[in-house]
Amino acid sequence: MNHTSDQHPWFIESRSSRDNAKADWYVWNDDDQRWPDARVVFTDVERSNWTWDDVRQQYYWHRFYHHQPDLNYDNPEVADTMIDLVRFWLDLGFDGFRLDAVPYLYQRDGTSGEHLPETHAFIRRIRKQLEADYPGRILLAEANGWPSDVADYFGDGDECHLCFHFPLMPRLFMAVRREQRYPITEILAQTPVINDSCQWAIFLRNHDELTLEQVTDEDRDYMIAEYAKDPRMKRHMGIGRRLAPLLDNDRRMTELLYALLLSLPGSPVIYYGDELMMGDNIYLGDRDSVRTPMQWSPDRNGGFSQADFAQLYLPPLMDPVYGFSAVNVEAQLRNQGSFLHWLRRMLTERRALPVMGVGQMEVLPCPNPSVLAYMRSGEVADVLAPVGVPARPSMVAPAEADGRDWERVSSTARTVPAGNEGADDEVVRRFQAVLCVHNLSRFAQPAELSLAQWAGSTPYEVLGRVPFPLITEEPYAITLPPYGFLWFDLVPEDRG
Amino acid sequence: MTLEQDAALRTLVLAWYSHRSGADLAAEAVTIRRTEVLRPGRPGLLDLVAEIDGRLAHLVVGLRSVGDEPHFLRSGDELALGLLEDDDGLAFCTDALHDAYLAPLLLATLRGVEPRPGRISIVRDDEDGMVLDCGDRGDLTVFPWLADRTDPAVDLMVALERVGFNHVAAPLMRWQWDQHDLGLVQEPIAGRSSGWAVALTSLRDLYASGGSPEAAGGDFGSEAQALGTMLARMHLAIDRAFGRHPEPVAEWVEMAEAELRESEPSLLAAPDVTELLAQLRVADTKLPAIRTHGDFQLERTSRTDQGWVVSDFRPGGVLPSMFEPVPRSPLADVADLLWSLHQASTAAAAERDPSGRLGLAKLGQAWESRNRRAMLSGYLGTPGIAGLTGPHRDLVGHLVGLFELARSVRPA
Repeated sequence: MNHTSDQHPWFIESRSSRDNAKADWYVWNDDDQRWPDARVVFTDVERSNWTWDDVRQQYYWHRFYHHQPDLNYDNPEVADTMIDLVRFWLDLGFDGFRLDAVPYLYQRDGTSGEHLPETHAFIRRIRKQLEADYPGRILLAEANGWPSDVADYFGDGDECHLCFHFPLMPRLFMAVRREQRYPITEILAQTPVINDSCQWAIFLRNHDELTLEQVTDEDRDYMIAEYAKDPRMKRHMGIGRRLAPLLDNDRRMTELLYALLLSLPGSPVIYYGDELMMGDNIYLGDRDSVRTPMQWSPDRNGGFSQADFAQLYLPPLMDPVYGFSAVNVEAQLRNQGSFLHWLRRMLTERRALPVMGVGQMEVLPCPNPSVLAYMRSGEVADVLAPVGVPARPSMVAPAEADGRDWERVSSTARTVPAGNEGADDEVVRRFQAVLCVHNLSRFAQPAELSLAQWAGSTPYEVLGRVPFPLITEEPYAITLPPYGFLWFDLVPEDRG
Repeated sequence: MTLEQDAALRTLVLAWYSHRSGADLAAEAVTIRRTEVLRPGRPGLLDLVAEIDGRLAHLVVGLRSVGDEPHFLRSGDELALGLLEDDDGLAFCTDALHDAYLAPLLLATLRGVEPRPGRISIVRDDEDGMVLDCGDRGDLTVFPWLADRTDPAVDLMVALERVGFNHVAAPLMRWQWDQHDLGLVQEPIAGRSSGWAVALTSLRDLYASGGSPEAAGGDFGSEAQALGTMLARMHLAIDRAFGRHPEPVAEWVEMAEAELRESEPSLLAAPDVTELLAQLRVADTKLPAIRTHGDFQLERTSRTDQGWVVSDFRPGGVLPSMFEPVPRSPLADVADLLWSLHQASTAAAAERDPSGRLGLAKLGQAWESRNRRAMLSGYLGTPGIAGLTGPHRDLVGHLVGLFELARSVRPA
């Protein structure tokens, strides 16, 4: 949202003179002294937010790289054009937008140029368009900040539907390295409650560096020491590596982090290739280390392109561990034990547990610092299948038919968050509680949880539907394997 | 109280005592000193104080209808005490603190709020007190044995909270009878783990991976630094609450020397110790003495989602073989914590390598060394603390060494 390339026709025209049609589409100034309170984001490569343009003989404003000039949203033509662009893509069928660098749309004297009221007003304008003409489409804010600041981008439910939760991500990595839950629970405790129509977007990795902007200096040093042992892995204020190499290609640790991603409150966002445990190439410049071609198959260029290898913008990975001949979609689809299959199954299970998406979350006390346990709970609706339609067997099925309309009461076509059922659906509403227990340590760990509140429920392990011992008022003991996790669907006695 | 009632109450006390100590007493050894109905009816709560062999025992009796099924917090802990007849008829009596329903009822009764169902778990259960974590309703502490005065640990906690020390679960209700502390309700502490458990997590990681403690994933450095900062803030708060007075360093040296002479005289002949004492004896200066924690070790602290807290104020500044808090250098608490780091590294090494064949001692020393530095950096870097420790870093170092030496000869 904030900038274009300096090769974009708009910028080429804008820089060509001071009186062309797009002269004011970017932010120009005769000197480089304006807005001194606006910080330089990439301090390692840019010394100023202003860069001199020899053609126009003026400075132009850019909050990121000098080859990414900022658009001038104070020009109504620009703002209108951006709205038109949004409509263009939505008309093509796009489901939504990630609003890149959204805090930086406007500049004002005496401010840092971030999170300005004008920016929020513009987002509300886009949202209004979506609500009116494209219901169901979403806006996702990319605003790297503290949750209490970023929550402003939800507005009163009239700005973005989703906001990335940046500070959580490095803390997930910190927690598994430190083998203690506090980096995660601390940030969750500082995450504000948001409107029901809004949600955090949570992620493990993305197309940028693993940003360490939102951690303390000490924690940044720690993360660099642990996850960027080679200085070439550092990028700006973060680490330019993909998920699998960050975790030493450790399948158990990767599964654990995904288990957290899929069960913590928020909508999980998965970066392409991470579903395969793809690697990176730290010798490529800047963020390109994590932007190598998707590895579809063992064919030429990993199935990404039929072009000559030399013509590719970035080379595909070819090393023996992460290269496309070893790690690719085609091979993983054939192998039932592959990470891709494991992740698909996890996503299926998550979909069947609506409280993972919209339920409340309560961190459960556990004396063992390496164990992170929480309860996701809320009201859900079982949408009943019409008689004769094959459906997913439900936990509520009675052991034997007792004269009731067995098929109608025992078959659940799908379970959705309460309120999300269709007008004509026949539903049974119920309370769903899912207990999630994670071991952040490389060693097996015991967990003793106080679950008296759920006494009388039987925990069914979600992946295997294996019943565990009944919960009583006494502390509930669970043993977790190294980096292990267990999700339990708590089924009350009256449904068992 | 009728003779029958007195006899029945003494029977309950005897059953309680027998459960706790495993020993039986004669009924005549028990004198009921106080009875208070905390909550009438069924289920009801009755508070009892009884004198047993000159000590004051304190128990909260849960009164259930005969036929009610009690739920105890731990199997094997089924503290049924007996039967009691009162105005509401015959009651089946339990130790209310071990009863999953009656313990939160006690907490609600003490606070004067409506009881709410919810989680409950035992944090600590020993002769000094029983602490129950009642989730978001708070922590309930009840003292099974009463001293002849207020509890120094509670005094310390309450005083610190009043002067704004916020690394503590604030007391919500102090339960007293005459000059005795019967119990306490504190605000809830979310997601706590004991400092000892967090340190062991770090050590287990280091012992498994080897290398330097800084490079180990489970590095404890930042936690040790935060602990040091918290300790310094506690000392500054103690100073605000109780004040200070100057004492000659020479006196501290003499006391420590006497302690060593009594417990481990051979240490005094060790060259390092001789040199340390010689250096301290020439320190002709006075430094502030304050009331201290008295036994500040990792187990007295908890890591929470909000950072570190002091979760246990025992002994409240009262040193072994003393009856009142004795002012001393705040660095003595620092030494206690450093000593505790050593205890942790030793305990984790013994866990992993009982035979000592793996040679984990070097790793343990490196871990201690790193975390000592971090902890001291947190402590000495806290604004204002130099006013209590004195400005001379060498002297501070020597004093910490001296106090740690003295701590090492005391029982763990």
